[in-house]
Amino acid sequence: MKSTPLSSPVGAEMDYHSLNAMLNLYGPNGEIQFDKDREAAREYFLQHVNQNTVFFHSLRERLDYLVEKEYYEQAVLDMYSFEFITKLNDLAYEKKFRFQTFLGAFKYYTSYTLKTFDGKRYLERFEDRVVMTALGLAQGDEKLAVSLVEEIIAGRFQPATPTFLNSGKAQRGELVSCFLLRIEDNMESISRAINSSLQLSKRGGGVALLLTNIRESGAPIKQIENQSSGIIPVMKLLEDSFSYANQLGARQGAGAVYLHAHHPDIMRFLDTKRENADEKIRIKTLSLGVVVPDITFELAKKDEDMYLFSPYDVERVYGVPFADISVSEKYHEMVDDPRIKKSKMKARDFFQTLAEIQFESGYPYIMFEDTVNAANPIKGRINMSNLCSEILQVATPTTYNEDLSYDKIGKDISCNLGSMNIALSMDSPDFGHTVETAIRGLNSVSEQSHISSVRSIEDGNDKSHAIGLGQMNLHGYLARERIYYGSEEGIDFTNIYFYTVVFHALRASNKLAIERGRAFDGFEDSTYASGAFFDKYTDQAWTPATPRVSELFETSGVAIPTQADWAELKASVMEHGIYNQNLQAVPPTGSISYINNSTSSIHPIASKIEIRKEGKLGRVYYPAPFLTNDNLDYYQDAYEIGAEKIIDTYAAATQHVDQGLSLTLFFKDTATTRDINKAQIYAWRKGIKTIYYIRLRQLALEGTEVDNCVSCML
Amino acid sequence: MIDKLKLVSHVDAINWNKIEDEKDVEVWNRLVNNFWLPEKIPLSNDVQSWNTLTPVEQQLTMRVFTGLTLLDTIQGTVGAVSLIPDAITPHEEAVYTNIAFMESVHAKSYSSIFSTLASTKEIDEAFRWSTENVNLQKKASIVMEYYQGDDPLKRKVASTLLESFLFYSGFYLPMYWSSRAKLTNTADLIRLIIRDEAVHGYYIGYKFQKGLERVSQERRDEIKDYTFNLMFELYENEIQYTQDLYDEVGLTEDVKKFLHYNANKALMNLGYEPMFPKSVTDVNPAILSALSPNADENHDFFSGSGSSYVIGKAVNTEDSDWDF
Repeated sequence: MKSTPLSSPVGAEMDYHSLNAMLNLYGPNGEIQFDKDREAAREYFLQHVNQNTVFFHSLRERLDYLVEKEYYEQAVLDMYSFEFITKLNDLAYEKKFRFQTFLGAFKYYTSYTLKTFDGKRYLERFEDRVVMTALGLAQGDEKLAVSLVEEIIAGRFQPATPTFLNSGKAQRGELVSCFLLRIEDNMESISRAINSSLQLSKRGGGVALLLTNIRESGAPIKQIENQSSGIIPVMKLLEDSFSYANQLGARQGAGAVYLHAHHPDIMRFLDTKRENADEKIRIKTLSLGVVVPDITFELAKKDEDMYLFSPYDVERVYGVPFADISVSEKYHEMVDDPRIKKSKMKARDFFQTLAEIQFESGYPYIMFEDTVNAANPIKGRINMSNLCSEILQVATPTTYNEDLSYDKIGKDISCNLGSMNIALSMDSPDFGHTVETAIRGLNSVSEQSHISSVRSIEDGNDKSHAIGLGQMNLHGYLARERIYYGSEEGIDFTNIYFYTVVFHALRASNKLAIERGRAFDGFEDSTYASGAFFDKYTDQAWTPATPRVSELFETSGVAIPTQADWAELKASVMEHGIYNQNLQAVPPTGSISYINNSTSSIHPIASKIEIRKEGKLGRVYYPAPFLTNDNLDYYQDAYEIGAEKIIDTYAAATQHVDQGLSLTLFFKDTATTRDINKAQIYAWRKGIKTIYYIRLRQLALEGTEVDNCVSCML
Repeated sequence: MIDKLKLVSHVDAINWNKIEDEKDVEVWNRLVNNFWLPEKIPLSNDVQSWNTLTPVEQQLTMRVFTGLTLLDTIQGTVGAVSLIPDAITPHEEAVYTNIAFMESVHAKSYSSIFSTLASTKEIDEAFRWSTENVNLQKKASIVMEYYQGDDPLKRKVASTLLESFLFYSGFYLPMYWSSRAKLTNTADLIRLIIRDEAVHGYYIGYKFQKGLERVSQERRDEIKDYTFNLMFELYENEIQYTQDLYDEVGLTEDVKKFLHYNANKALMNLGYEPMFPKSVTDVNPAILSALSPNADENHDFFSGSGSSYVIGKAVNTEDSDWDF
């Protein structure tokens, strides 16, 4: 394949890329040139999209053609009458959707819309994609299909990339975003993990794997000492697997591996990301995560050594894999047990090394193990997270027979995600209905997903119907309402907003349980069933602490649930259950927030004009939503806002979210490892569950910067 | 024949606790923090994208990179080293050794790109082209000549023009590709090189200006004259070289504007007024925006490591940090 006609001609004068890039260069009067970006979006349609879109005379002709040529899945359309589809189509087009930015349009047409098989022409506009997604998710339920079209086209709810990209297409990957797999300490499990990683990458999800159980380097094999080569070779195998499997060349497979802080290979694990790491051990594209229990913090507080325990011995002593042990709980017992081989290092050195590696590479992610498990309403242990560190669910091991067939299929994790646009949802005519529609949409993905090539995932999904409703555009909303991110009012809003969401999310899942006549597997052992989960909502009133936030909810007409509302919901949940084991998870939202014109997740913006670089997009510039030359003050970026306010904001949300929230911390390059460590300690103390990337901003040396560049200025 | 390089005749143990010019420390720290190796960039993720380039575009890219390799080789093995004997402070000498080493890292980086994307035959052909292209060779010999001269200020001028001007006809192309979503990982690597070269050019230019402060007005006038003459000579040649490279893909006009822009930048680094008027430096905004050496790109985990990270300063935590 040579240069595709979809790329713009070489050397074109002032094309849409150049117009878009002018966003990053100040205009003659020192103003940000928003108009150039709008011009870029317009030119993109005129010069490129309109000329390359296949024209159909009627909806009938279009659908017949797309089904006949195997672009659309017949079965999806067959669930509805043609009259209804026409009505839905009209509804979508009546809303007069327009992309707000060049990047929004460019991202949509580059990565989401249906193209002819030769990749040369477009077969869908945004409205068509929304209609197909709604039809696919509603599974024949007309009322739900209408609700989904209304919520998605208005921008209040946006399904995650795999769902929005694939729904209704005949040639497609899975609708699910994200997978988590355990690995046990045996060759069968390791090779199965590699196989599963290939299968899942091929179908288009990020995969995270747990390395904690694998015996350390130098551990015995068949009782012969010094045989195992530890976790690094496994990481190498995984890294290669992910780069081999890409979805029809669409994007590289992506993987993460998690390791417990008290695993003996922890330092080797971290060193794979060193700038001067040897090629043999360097890990370039695999993401790393470290699982840190409370005890490590306590040891560091006392400036003591931390012991690392051989997973091989631990499993022999306790009869369960290392990851299923609470290290905080058993720490002193294991230290005193002569049967467990151990090594040690200074706990503070561990934290400092962690920060050093984060400086150099942004990795590892961190999961605060004990915080996560204390907040988990479900029975069982959570010992890892995923590629974006927002999925936190219970998993159980799988065992194999000698011929590699399954002995006992355990439970692994999949999660499909979708996010609400906070600003537009606050404008919703019916907030509860918006949440319910989102939950039903996500639930439908779970019900339609059957990953039979990885049985532990398929079984896990069938039993739990776990979903992750996310949120984005917090900073955009706050700035629009002229509230500073991280201010008292900003945190107050975050608290009450998430408080309101969790109520409606639970209510929707409770309705689903009533309709389906069953709850998720294991509901009876959860704190939802015992009612304990609801204590914090029924025992005290949750109300805005600041007049401004009260006013925001009042003028928006969004009702804040009362203690009586909770008591009623509690009774219904205890009686009927909820259908979804997990309900919320706040992902980092890259691509979909551009299409949806949102700020990412509940983060502050990284820059007023963000530079986005992706393999398929190149380097593109994105203005923060609702930003004008008049309200620049409210768009302080994450580096100016600093770690503490971000953590405070996340802490306010975390208490209402059953899974995790991707939390990136931003530092200026004047920061030291100590600053990063202090932020980690603060996050842990505030009850944060996971930390995603550490990002650093190095400003150009004075005198070497590009003149007039928006993203270069503070 | 090349004369033997002059060495510093006398060395005292360097004392970093006695700093004569704060700029030396500032730049040293910056360079150390910015240390990197090409192995950190997942260049192989560009193989697919490479295959979407036409043969002409591929050949152009290879040629551009062999040209850059030659310049970095000169700068690593001759240029930065030749500045050492002229250094005013011992710390300045240390900075040049760092610059010299990083230039060699850059030169090696292009080989990493080649071996990832192209076959041995294509690589050999591109290198052959670089030895046979008259304008590239002329560019190299002009600079080499001045490095071997015996005037320290003139050497700095040559070095700054190389770092801040001559590289950029080559840097244009990867920036152009990345704005078109091509070879984005290669562009990450090049941006790391640009990040370094920006500091090098700035620093050598700064030292030049310091040196200029110590000489007579007459001598200053002579040097200024010399600088603009050299700039013209290099510019004439650079235009030819640019045409050799870019005519076939129709980008020459755009690259020329970029040359004007960077020529002005190089002169600024030396403390002189710009040579080209605004009307001929209106670089394609997509290229100009991509040039920003700030490390503030946002990218996803599918798209490589970017150029954002630096080696951090390790500082122990104190008891008070663990007060919970």
